Amino acid sequence: MKQIDIAEQPWLGLRRTVGITADGIRYRLFRAAVTVAVIAVAVAFLMNILGESLIKRAVARNTRERITQMRLIYDWSARLTNPGSLESVLSELAANEPGQDRYREMQQMAGLDDARMAAFHQEARLARRYLGFFASLDYAKRRDAIHTAEGMAIFERLRSASGMEQFRTAMSHIKSVRFVTSYEDLDAFLARGPELLATAQAVLDGRRRAIAQVGRTLRQEPVLQALVRSEGDLGQVIREAGFVFPADTVAPVVAEQAQRLLDVLHLEETMDSEKCRQLLAQQGNVMPADVNVVMMWKYLDNPRFAARYLERMRESGVVVNSLTPERLVDLAKARDENAALLQAERLTMDAGKGFMGLGERLVWLLFVSMLVCGIGICNAMLMTVTERFTEIATLKCLGALDGFIMLMFVLESAILGIVGGCVGAILGALIALGRMLAAFGTNFVSAVPVTELLVGMVASVAMGMLLAAIAAVLPSYQAARLAPMEAMRIE
Amino acid sequence: MDAKADQKTSAATATAAPAAKNGERQSERVIIRTVGLKKSYLMKDVVTEALRGVDVEILTGEFISVMGPSGSGKSTFFNMIGALDSPTTGRVFIDEVDVAQLTAEELAYLRCHKIGYIFQSYNLIKYMTALENVTTPMAFGGVMPDEARERGMDLLDVVGLKERWHHRPIEMSGGQQQRVAIARGLANRPSVLLCDEPTGNLDLRTGQEILDILKRLNTDQNVTIICATHDHRMMNICDRLMWIRDGQIERLARRDEVHIEVGSIGGQTE
Repeated sequence: MKQIDIAEQPWLGLRRTVGITADGIRYRLFRAAVTVAVIAVAVAFLMNILGESLIKRAVARNTRERITQMRLIYDWSARLTNPGSLESVLSELAANEPGQDRYREMQQMAGLDDARMAAFHQEARLARRYLGFFASLDYAKRRDAIHTAEGMAIFERLRSASGMEQFRTAMSHIKSVRFVTSYEDLDAFLARGPELLATAQAVLDGRRRAIAQVGRTLRQEPVLQALVRSEGDLGQVIREAGFVFPADTVAPVVAEQAQRLLDVLHLEETMDSEKCRQLLAQQGNVMPADVNVVMMWKYLDNPRFAARYLERMRESGVVVNSLTPERLVDLAKARDENAALLQAERLTMDAGKGFMGLGERLVWLLFVSMLVCGIGICNAMLMTVTERFTEIATLKCLGALDGFIMLMFVLESAILGIVGGCVGAILGALIALGRMLAAFGTNFVSAVPVTELLVGMVASVAMGMLLAAIAAVLPSYQAARLAPMEAMRIE
Repeated sequence: MDAKADQKTSAATATAAPAAKNGERQSERVIIRTVGLKKSYLMKDVVTEALRGVDVEILTGEFISVMGPSGSGKSTFFNMIGALDSPTTGRVFIDEVDVAQLTAEELAYLRCHKIGYIFQSYNLIKYMTALENVTTPMAFGGVMPDEARERGMDLLDVVGLKERWHHRPIEMSGGQQQRVAIARGLANRPSVLLCDEPTGNLDLRTGQEILDILKRLNTDQNVTIICATHDHRMMNICDRLMWIRDGQIERLARRDEVHIEVGSIGGQTE
C-alpha cells in the first residue's frame, strides 16, 4: 500500500473570507440592495414599534408623575376636609412604602410604634392582594364565590361560616384560577381582621381630629382660599394638626396651585359680565350668547388680547385683584399644558403592559413581520445561490471546503443584515420619534428615553443580522452541497 | 516554476523518488489509473450507463487528448478522474490514492493540490481580478498572501498576462480569460491539468495560443495534461489520443501511430 500524502484542507482565514464575500456583494450590488431594503423595512418596523412603546412608556411614567404633582391642590383640599373611609385608608397605606410621607402620617395619627405600623402595613398589603384577586374574577365566578359583596364587605362575608363555605366550594369548582395564598393564610388574616379594622379606624379617627383642628383655625373660610397661605401660617397649622405637609416641597406647590385655581375660577366668572362676553364675541366673531370658557382661554393666550381683556374687566367693574396680562397668558398656557398632560395620560393608558411594553397584539405582529422578512431573505439568498451555481462549483474545484461555501453565504447575508439593520433601526427610531412628537407634542421631549432607545436600536440591528444569518443557513447549506461537476456544465 | 517544483509535490510518494532522481521527461510513473470504471445514472426509472468499464493508465508528463462525440461519456470520465464525482463501480487512483476512500476535506485537498481544472467557459470568479483568481486556490491551500501574490504574478507571466493582473474577467477577451484560467489551474503545482474543451469557446487563432501554452507547459515544465477536445489541432501536439464511444474506450493510441492514419483520411478531418 502506498503512503498517502493527502491531508485535510486548512481553513481560509476569516479576513480573506470576509474579503471575498464583500467583493461578491459589491459585484452584485443591485441584488444586495434589494435584500438590504427587505431587511431594512422589517427592522424599521420592529424598531418603530419598539421605539414607540418605549417612548410611550416613558411618557406615561412622566405624565403620571406630573399629574400627581398637578393634582396636589385637589388632593390636599380633599384631605383637609374629608377623612376618607376604612377602605381608602387601607389602600392608601398599601400603595405607600415605609418612610414615605403618608406612611409616617398614618403612624403618627394612629399613635403606633414602628413594629405595629409595619405589621399594619403588611396587613394592608395582604388585604389589597385579596381584594385584587376578587376584582380579577369575572362576574360569574365572583358571584359564585362571594355573591355580590364588594370591598371590605367581602371580608365580612368570608368571616361568616356559610360565606366561607360557599367561597371554598366555589373555588374548588373553578379550576382555571388559583387563590393567591393558601386558605389557612386567609383564615388567619380573617381572624386578625378586627384588629386590622381597629387600627384603620384609629387612623381614621386621627384624621377626623386633625381635620377638626384645621377647621377650627379656618373657621368658615373655604379651604381652597386658605391654602393660598399654606406656605405661611396655615402650613404650620396643618402640620401641628398632625398632617405631614412638607414646608419645602409640597407647601409652595400647593400654595401656588391654590392661587392659580382661584385666579382661574375668578376669570371664568367674568363670563357673567356682559362687557367681557362682548369683547370675546367680537374677537371670535360669534354671538355673545355663544361665548364660552374655552374660547376665553384660547384668546387669552395672546398678551395683547389679555391686556384688553383686563381693561374690559376693570371697565365692567369686575374685581381685577393682582391680575396682570402676563398672568393671564401664563394661566392660559398652564391650562393648555394640563390639557396636554391629560391627553397624554389618555393616550398612554395601555402603555407598559406586556413584553417590553408591547401589547400582546404587537408582539404577534412583530413575530409575523419577522417571519415574512425571514422568508424574503431566504428567497433572496436562494436566488443568489441559484445564479451562482457555476461560481460555487468552481470554488469547490479550486479546493474550497463545504464549510467555506456555507460561511461565505451566511456571512454575506449577515453583512447585508447589519447594513439593512442599521438603516432600518435609524429609520424606525426616527419614525417613532416623529409619530410620538406628533401625538404628545414638544412638552414631552425631555421624557424621551434616549438610552433605552439606543439599546433598542442595537437590539434591532442584532435582530436583523441574526434573522438574515439564520435565513441564509438553508440556502447556503444547499449551495455547499452542490456537486463540483456543476462547473463542467456549460451555461 | 520549473519541472523540479512540479516533481516536488509528488516527491513524498515512495515511487516518485527514483523518477525524480533520474529526471527523465517520461518517468513512466502512473499518475492516474482507472480500474473497471463504471457509472450509471438513474433518470426517471431508466438506468443510463454513461461509462461501461474504462481501464486506463495515464503517466506523469503525458499530454493526452480525449476525444469522442457528445454523450459518449467523455464528461463523465472527466468528472471521475477529476475527483468531482464518484463511480458506481470501479476505482480511480490519482497519484496512487483511491479517490473513493477520501473524506470531503481530503477530496477538497486533492482538488486543490493535485489537479488543476480548465473549463470551456473559463469559469473565472467574476468579481476577482486576474491575480486574485490565480491566488484563490493558493489561499485555499494555505499559502501565505505575500508568497501567493509572488507566485501568482509568476504564473501570469508564464501565460503572458503579467501586465493585466488587476483586470477583472469582464475586461479581458476570451483567450485572455482562458489564459488566466490556465494560470489558476497551475496555482498549486498540480500533478495533472484537466482541460475540458479549453479551446471550445475560442476562435482558431486564440485557440492556437492556448494550445501553444499548454504544449509549452507540457514540454518545459513536464505538466501532465489531459484534454477533452473536439479540436483536431490537439492531435498535433499530444502524446496519446483516446477515443471514447458509448462509455467505453474505443481506441487508445500514440500520436505517431495515429498520425499516419489521420494522414490517410486527412482530407476529411482537417
